Amino acid sequence: MNKKLIRTIIVGCLIIVYSTDLGHAGLSEQMASANAALAGGRPIEALDSYKAILASPALSASSSAELWFNRGLAEEKNGNAPAAALSFRRALLLDPGFAPARRQLSVLLGGLGIPFEFGWRETLTTMIPPEFLILGGSVMGWIGIFGLIILLMAGPRKKGFVLLAIILAIAGHGVCVLGTLIDSRFLAAKQAVITAKEAQELKATPADNAASMGSVVPGALIRIVSRNGAWSYVSEGSGPHASQGWIHSDTATPLLP
Amino acid sequence: MKKTYSSILAIVLLVGVINPLLADEISVTAGISRQEVNSGDMAELQIKVSGAQQADVPQQIAVEGLNIRLTGQSTQVQMVNFKVSSSVVYSYIVMPLRTGKFMIPSVTVTADGRQFRTQSLTFSVLDASASSAAPSAQPPSTTSGILGFTQPRQRTAAPKPDIASVAFGEINCPKKTLYAGEMVPVEIRYYFDARYATQVRGNVDFGGEGVLVERFPEPKEGREERNGVLYNVLTFRSLLSGVKPGSIDLAPAKLDCQIQLPGELPPGFDDPVFQQLLGGQARFGQTRELAVKTAPLHLEVLPLPKEGRPASFAGAVGQFDIDAMVSNQHLAPGDPATLSVKIGGKGNFKGMGPPVLTASDDWRTYPPTDRFDSSDELSYTGVKSFDFTLIAQKPTKLSPGAEFSFFDPQSGKYQTLVTKPLPLDASPGNSTIAPGNSLPGNSLPGKKSLPNPSPVSHPSLTPPEGDPIQGLTLHSWKTPVQRSEFFIASISMLIGAGTLAAALWFRDLQARGGTAATRRKRRLSALLVILKDETMDAASTYDAAVEYLEMTLRGDSSEALLATMIARRDQFKYGTGGTFPLSKSEREQLLSELCSSVPTHQHE
Repeated sequence: MNKKLIRTIIVGCLIIVYSTDLGHAGLSEQMASANAALAGGRPIEALDSYKAILASPALSASSSAELWFNRGLAEEKNGNAPAAALSFRRALLLDPGFAPARRQLSVLLGGLGIPFEFGWRETLTTMIPPEFLILGGSVMGWIGIFGLIILLMAGPRKKGFVLLAIILAIAGHGVCVLGTLIDSRFLAAKQAVITAKEAQELKATPADNAASMGSVVPGALIRIVSRNGAWSYVSEGSGPHASQGWIHSDTATPLLP
Repeated sequence: MKKTYSSILAIVLLVGVINPLLADEISVTAGISRQEVNSGDMAELQIKVSGAQQADVPQQIAVEGLNIRLTGQSTQVQMVNFKVSSSVVYSYIVMPLRTGKFMIPSVTVTADGRQFRTQSLTFSVLDASASSAAPSAQPPSTTSGILGFTQPRQRTAAPKPDIASVAFGEINCPKKTLYAGEMVPVEIRYYFDARYATQVRGNVDFGGEGVLVERFPEPKEGREERNGVLYNVLTFRSLLSGVKPGSIDLAPAKLDCQIQLPGELPPGFDDPVFQQLLGGQARFGQTRELAVKTAPLHLEVLPLPKEGRPASFAGAVGQFDIDAMVSNQHLAPGDPATLSVKIGGKGNFKGMGPPVLTASDDWRTYPPTDRFDSSDELSYTGVKSFDFTLIAQKPTKLSPGAEFSFFDPQSGKYQTLVTKPLPLDASPGNSTIAPGNSLPGNSLPGKKSLPNPSPVSHPSLTPPEGDPIQGLTLHSWKTPVQRSEFFIASISMLIGAGTLAAALWFRDLQARGGTAATRRKRRLSALLVILKDETMDAASTYDAAVEYLEMTLRGDSSEALLATMIARRDQFKYGTGGTFPLSKSEREQLLSELCSSVPTHQHE
């Protein structure tokens, strides 16, 4: 009976893995075709293909940094720099250590006159993926908690071991929290990129004839503070250089698709 | 019916009257203060947007051989015959980088959601050495500026002497002789007799052909006593710079205001008693519109010397120092580095170009982005940062250096500041940017070029030649803590930890023979068995009875029975008969004593 159950479970797992691989294999073929179009100097065709691949249901909850990077290249070649900036940012969102996307984005933003922010968060995520910090820290923290339980209830209750278990539990979960805080996906829900072709005026009130508070250039990363109908109240930059104002919601595209 | 027609006629008339009042056609014009300048001189370009108070204009205008930068703006609002008109003027400084004839292209201006274009302008830069042989001053008539902006303003007649003591202005400019492009602080103070109510209208009207005056920030208010009279003082501070070399006479700085002055008392009311009753002469006062003026200002503007001008000079005039830093010293292959060159000090930050990168052969460089952090309200002192994006083309251990030249008006000489290449560790990666494909403004290997005058306003959208990346790695859009799997795993861990703790506690409990109550209950049952055992010797039976009593009895009343029991036990233990069982009658008596003294529930 037990053998039969184990066999069923193994077969079920194999079916799931195989079907996922089949899906990926299909995507890989489409991607290879789109890559060939891009490399062959047909960026419009390549862009259409990348859009079709990225719209597939298999890539709704998760996606590929390579696909978004290639799409960004195609958009750049089609002369759509703001859309390319969005695609490169999405590639970096999925894989913060993806050096080609970071390099391409910095060059693109440099051309658009937008400073490329590379602070301590980005440096840390380049060195250690946030996913590793979160999962590794969580595992370490739970090992500390289980160790502490065993030591206190069944172990020798030596002070050194107990202290080590407490440190492991606190440090592990601390690393998990740190990983979450530096993970750009955590903050991305309220971020967007100006994808309009022209600079957008930041209005004092959500009205076309309102006073201008400044402007945001295409490709700039903004934070959506609130929404009011077809208008969004956004903030651009940080610290003393930050500027806020209302823009038309359709001029910006959310960072998370 | 007649009434209806009258109403319609009234509405039509009203619309006809109001419409011209509200409608304010927007027009955009451009003008330049001088169409010809000598090399080393500067000119002023103005874009006037009539019918709007705000417009989007470029920060720089790209013309090869000219450095044209936005330096300030001024807004004018006028009301004539109840018709309000507004205009805004954007001033640019035009700095020649070489001699020749130039065409300043039409500029796109966005105002009120619409786009307008200015007309293109011609501009010539003459060789100063050639033109100095024939010193013919530029006649004022050559000015092709915008009417009302660069032309000298017509002044009104001087105020009456008594008015002059009620309101007057003073101008203080510490330097009367300055170099073209040099920023000089200027302070304008307006004094108003504190006894009379005064209302200031608009901003200071100051400036003229050949100079650029920065926008005046909000004035400082204060009080000062002069010749026994208390004055309210408005102090305006700004920066002034000469554009056109030569003698410049600036018209007095004017400020429009309205003052409530005392008037003539009616006949018969000049008695002091009446005056007191009526609240003084102010009741008969009159409101006067005044244009309070300062003295005119004479300036001598010297041209920047052509001799000793470094190749890296890009219009900076003042006193500066330089510092540089790189964002990341250990770069992954192909990673971009950011070289931040900081220029600090005092001078014309708005008119200065970026530093020139040196020793950049191993790097691909891009036009810098700049940011100015002012340390005063006039933007006279502060730090301007130029951030260069760099990508290594070869493995290298040093960043490029930077060279920045400026003209020091105090010493009257050009100065050049350099920063040494900074240590870092960089190597080229699998670059998707093909060699040779560069954005404008790149420093070419082995060539020190002048900085691109418009790196930011005209970015190239030409995509670098990039090869797509093969392979497909899936990543979630959500961070692990936002995923349900992580939540389920955390809850499972929590349950697991609780289960483990419970299991270990139970095991410990089992090892210790259960809880204290269970153990007590079990012991009492065992003692009862001993007490009822007829084969048990007397000493052991009384031992059990004493222990039973000790475990069950509480309070002083039971102590007497316990003492009796202990005495009997000791008697059997240390006396005789302790090894024989108790008689049946004594055992029953003992059990009955125990039962009567112990609560019933404790026997269970």
